[in-house]
Amino acid sequence: MRDSIRFFDKITFFIILAISVGGVFLIYSASYSDTNTFFYKQLIWLIFSIIIFFIVFRIRTEIIFRYGVLLYIILIGILILQLVSGKVIAGTKSWVKFGFFSVQVSEFMKIALAIIIAKYISKINKIEWKELFMLGVIIGIPFVLIALQPDMGTASIFVSLFIITILLKGIKKSIVIFLIILVLLSSFFLWNYFLKPYQKDRITSFLNPELYSQSSGYQIIQSKIAIGAGGINGKGFLKGSQSKYKFLPTRHTDFIISLLGEEFGFLGISFFLILYFVFFYRQFTFFTENEEELNLVYLLLGLILFQFLINVLMSIGLIPILGLPLPFVSYGGSSLLGFFIIEGIIFKIRINSYINEF
Amino acid sequence: MYINDNLPLDKLDKSALIARVIIFVIFILLFFAFWNIQILKHEHYDKLAMGNITDSLDIKAPRGVLFDKNGVIIAENKINFILLLNRKKTKDIEKTLEKISKLTGKSIILLKKILKKFNRVPKIRSIPLLKDLSFNNVVYIKSRPFEFQEFDIEVEPDRKYPLNRTASHIIGYMTEISEKELKGKSNNIYKLGDTIGQSGIEKQYEKFFRGKKGKRDVLKNNLGVIKTILHEQEPKIGNQVFLTIDIKLQKEIEELLVKKRLKGAIGVVDLKTGGILALISNPGFNPHDFWNQNDSIDRRFVSDLFLAIASQPYYETKLLQVFAILAVTKRIEINHKDNYSLHNKFIQGRYSPGSTFKIVMALAALEENIITKDTMINCNGVTNIYNRPWHCWREYGHGYVNLTKAIKDSCNIYFYNLGKKLNIDVIARYADLLGLGKRTNIDIPNEISGLVPTKSFKFRDNRKWYPGDTISISIGGGMLEVTPVQALLMISTVALRGQRPQLHLLDRIENDGVIIKKTEPKFTKIPIKKESFDLLIEGLFKVVNEEGTAKRAKIKGFDICGKTGTQQIISKENPRYKELVKIRKFMPHAWFVSFAPKENPRYASVIFIENGGGAGTIAAPFAKEIYKRLFEK
Repeated sequence: MRDSIRFFDKITFFIILAISVGGVFLIYSASYSDTNTFFYKQLIWLIFSIIIFFIVFRIRTEIIFRYGVLLYIILIGILILQLVSGKVIAGTKSWVKFGFFSVQVSEFMKIALAIIIAKYISKINKIEWKELFMLGVIIGIPFVLIALQPDMGTASIFVSLFIITILLKGIKKSIVIFLIILVLLSSFFLWNYFLKPYQKDRITSFLNPELYSQSSGYQIIQSKIAIGAGGINGKGFLKGSQSKYKFLPTRHTDFIISLLGEEFGFLGISFFLILYFVFFYRQFTFFTENEEELNLVYLLLGLILFQFLINVLMSIGLIPILGLPLPFVSYGGSSLLGFFIIEGIIFKIRINSYINEF
Repeated sequence: MYINDNLPLDKLDKSALIARVIIFVIFILLFFAFWNIQILKHEHYDKLAMGNITDSLDIKAPRGVLFDKNGVIIAENKINFILLLNRKKTKDIEKTLEKISKLTGKSIILLKKILKKFNRVPKIRSIPLLKDLSFNNVVYIKSRPFEFQEFDIEVEPDRKYPLNRTASHIIGYMTEISEKELKGKSNNIYKLGDTIGQSGIEKQYEKFFRGKKGKRDVLKNNLGVIKTILHEQEPKIGNQVFLTIDIKLQKEIEELLVKKRLKGAIGVVDLKTGGILALISNPGFNPHDFWNQNDSIDRRFVSDLFLAIASQPYYETKLLQVFAILAVTKRIEINHKDNYSLHNKFIQGRYSPGSTFKIVMALAALEENIITKDTMINCNGVTNIYNRPWHCWREYGHGYVNLTKAIKDSCNIYFYNLGKKLNIDVIARYADLLGLGKRTNIDIPNEISGLVPTKSFKFRDNRKWYPGDTISISIGGGMLEVTPVQALLMISTVALRGQRPQLHLLDRIENDGVIIKKTEPKFTKIPIKKESFDLLIEGLFKVVNEEGTAKRAKIKGFDICGKTGTQQIISKENPRYKELVKIRKFMPHAWFVSFAPKENPRYASVIFIENGGGAGTIAAPFAKEIYKRLFEK
């Protein structure tokens, strides 16, 4: 116990807290002109998530790996049930109602996937055809289920797990060529037979936002306007016109960084970027001998990094809108809880690497 | 048990090192991306952000009030409830329109047509879907804010004509400005949905009436809902326009015409100023009918048409064509209804002047020394000129007549003989001096010029001028075309012994009690000797006072002078003349131009009754009624 306290990464923990609390204030500003209760809900979720974080931190990693597959199967089961009977909330079936609150199963699927991939790839040397097939099945099943909800944003995050796996293990050249062809072919079929009009809109409007200034290009343009209008110092807390007069879409979730940019300017953005930078920089310091644990840390950190990048780049119009929340900041209990669980696991593994357990 | 907290760097996982480098590069790039947007392009985006929320809305100005010479209001303003539609808040446009259609009784087709017109207006701006909302509907909508959440009600001033159809041809009418008119105007005074004067005084003095729009700078949210008013500039009411019209007289004459079911044009002028006291063209119209979005005409027809078209492909484009047709037919329909006309006969009617033209002939002959006051011509009912018989209106003739007697009895033979001796171009010159054959430039728009032919006029069409043409013209027939306003100008010039007045309707325009425009009386001296006028007027006096053709206009002591004109529609040589002439549409047009009193004349008037019959029996008594009213005051 004393060791846990001694080797606990206090700096990273306080950075996470700072980012999360900052997020709560941004959500307060985002919903200020309405009478809704996002702010209080997020505050309660944050406290709840911190408690869960410490519970996860106390769980031994063997247990996590032991029950990873079970968690994966249970979550797959829930996803199938949802698709069959789920109620549509906010355009998707991704919500499960537990009494008085709802959670998004896909947020936890990310973790389960990372666990079993980490476990699987620690037993292999290099990705060859057989391994490719196995990974394809493991990632493919939840990917399809979540894409069908439809929630392309979260589904696309699963792809990032595959990319990290490749970076960790290396891959045969012929497989790379095969994958490129596969991606090209499938995107052709996706575009023509699978994607919903609004999803296509997101992509075409990204390529030419001015043409779509009244529909989905509208979101990109308004986000950039908000960020740009902030200038160096920003308009001030609660004073951003893009947010106050609701030109900024989904400003409490997907475009919360735009709200930050508008109200706190380049200085505010820089402060947040530095916090995130230290957060990532500090955590990519591992020297554990345990390959399973090492893989899991990379997968989980990669997950956060990808989601962070997708969200930020989308807000400044460099990639199409994928509808992903900003880690630790955006409104959403499931997302917040998911990231605190991830950090709980990472913190635990870090402790493990400092403590020799003979 | 424990390993050192400070681990050497070389023991670090190699991948972690790479990851750190990648992260470093990523964050440097992110900083630059935000630097670019927030600092380098800040001004651009800040402008866009301001543009998002700020808007400047027009506040319609009340139009200037129109008065008659005694300060009676002819046109004023009323409060109009406008139904504004916020298209950003509409979820299902069909249901929205249905809701309003049900409430107001306006057809969905009309509503769609209005909506279509505002297609290019940004969605963030609310558009005026309906004007003239009834107070009941206003209350209904206002008390159901959730049911009608996409609507707003605004109050705007709008035009009202308290006398309805009275003086309609003077007032003119207003419509919503068309896209074509908007394009034609380079200034940005008018916007879609504004109304504009289309004829009459409303058009003539549009720029004085319209006033100055106010402005309201507002902050709006993404749904176009106004959150804050930043600045408001009050609109300025248009100028007050005072006419020379005596609306009481105008109304009484109009009512007389309507009562007797007569069509025609009547004008009365004050000879001291040239100001028009009354200007009537019957039938008139109701100026309210044009700018209310009134689709009451043939709604059944439209809905039937819609059903027929809706089943066909591309029905929407076809519907638009139907709308265009309907817009035109409505006007045509108004023009053709018996008691409804946009045609202002007073300035736009082309009529043969008939015997009133003998005034021109008499003056021309006197000035050209063809006759003296004693020149006698024998009239025995018919005379032979250029191998053709020419008839007097009186079968057995008038015997020996001099000029005054010829005018008194309107003897044709006398004037045929003048026509024989006068060149057509000389006649045209005198007609022109008296104001015929050209616009009088009276201040209402769309006046026509009429026609006094000359030799060269016929040459233009490669036709020869026959001497007989001049004979026809000498009694006011042939190719001559005059408008009632020209006839009025002619008799006014005669009354004033050669001082041709500028006829006008405007007395003055005031801005907050300060006169900014005033019509000064203007007279043009024409080169005709006073003695010629005196002799002519002697004859015109006899027409009324010494048992002449207009003896029915006589009022003792008023000294009315005038000249009748009965212009046949069908030839007297027509074998069925006696039978046909009893049918209204074949009855002759009746003219009576007159002034009073003989010395120091005060008033002149023109009476023109379409298919009225004999001028002496129908037109002359009308003049009597008018002078009675004028002098009894």
